Amino acid sequence: MTGGTGRPSTDDLDRTIARLLTIGTYGSVALLAVGVLLMIATRITPLGGGPRFEPSILVDDLVHLRAQGFIWLGLVCVVATPSARVIASLVGYIRGGERSMATVAVLILVVIGLSVALARGLGG
Amino acid sequence: MIDGLVLIGGGIVAGLFGSLLGLGGGILIVPLLTLVFNLPVLTAVGVSLICVIVTSGAAAGVYLERHVANLRLGMTLELFTAIGALVGGLVAFLLPERLLEVLFSVLLLYVSVTMLRRRDGGEQDVPAVLPDVSDQASTTATDQSFEASLSGPDYRVRRLGFGLVGSVGAGVVSALLGIGGGLIKVPVMHVVMGVPLRVATATSNLMIGITASASAIIYLLRGGIDAYVAAPTAIGVFLGASLGSRIAHRIDLRILRGLFVVILLYTAWQMLQRAAS
Repeated sequence: MTGGTGRPSTDDLDRTIARLLTIGTYGSVALLAVGVLLMIATRITPLGGGPRFEPSILVDDLVHLRAQGFIWLGLVCVVATPSARVIASLVGYIRGGERSMATVAVLILVVIGLSVALARGLGG
Repeated sequence: MIDGLVLIGGGIVAGLFGSLLGLGGGILIVPLLTLVFNLPVLTAVGVSLICVIVTSGAAAGVYLERHVANLRLGMTLELFTAIGALVGGLVAFLLPERLLEVLFSVLLLYVSVTMLRRRDGGEQDVPAVLPDVSDQASTTATDQSFEASLSGPDYRVRRLGFGLVGSVGAGVVSALLGIGGGLIKVPVMHVVMGVPLRVATATSNLMIGITASASAIIYLLRGGIDAYVAAPTAIGVFLGASLGSRIAHRIDLRILRGLFVVILLYTAWQMLQRAAS
């Protein structure tokens, strides 16, 4: 449904983003659940101090079925889902020729990018 | 093992209460983790932000599917909540732990008073929308057309400037205290901007994702999120919120609200004692 103009309608965009949010949220929770089950299976106590976020060993953790790999991937998906929603909106607004809303979407992504840059810079 | 189950259980209770009372789970997660599990406030706030994103994501999807949330308005305001959250997320690491505890106690007291007023006056205490006093006289035609593009089919968005300022404040509070910020966003949208309460609530829910993720990124990259605490707690909150949305119509909310106020006041007292010790 494109509203007869070849451009996505507001309803289409709402529906697409709704689906993205639902998939992102349920997918993240599923990854966290796998991680918690692995924690229980390997007798990891949650209050013993969690591992630091190390993107470089994430794949290795996943391949070796380590709890921390699934949990960190789940947490990254949780944090990234809202940004994915903004990217989807940006695409929708560009396709719909809505410059002002596309600009708003770009600015939100810039602020998120700033968060990452500042956190990395300050985190050392 | 037992700790993990208690975290999931605590998350379920927080998510359930939050969902039934329309507060989100964040307001109970921080006290749960600090007072029961003795975790630092900053760690609790980081975990709470994750929980808040999870619960808002599921609910926002439903609101958008039903066309209750206003995506354009939400995105415009969340640009400013994200800026506030970015500032708040950076400031949070500079503030002393005790100050954060005191601020959280003040928040709990504020919510308690708000809930008591709601209990006395039923749902009628929702403040009336401020009258339109033609404050648009000083705004440009471009501003007005942008405001018009944010409006819904049966309401008109007004005083966008106030909404943007309120959004920055909501973002700062969210990042400092690990809550969604709906306590600020919903009244600003409804009372000041003339957005219907139902739309304001749904749009606030949509905005929470970006607001919380802007600061959650800072917590995550600076080691402020304990992954082993966040995972079971977030799952618990998600389950509790899902359960709450299903049983809300069967619960007498007046009794629940009274009980919740007692819990909040007790928690505020405990947080203040912790800050003083």
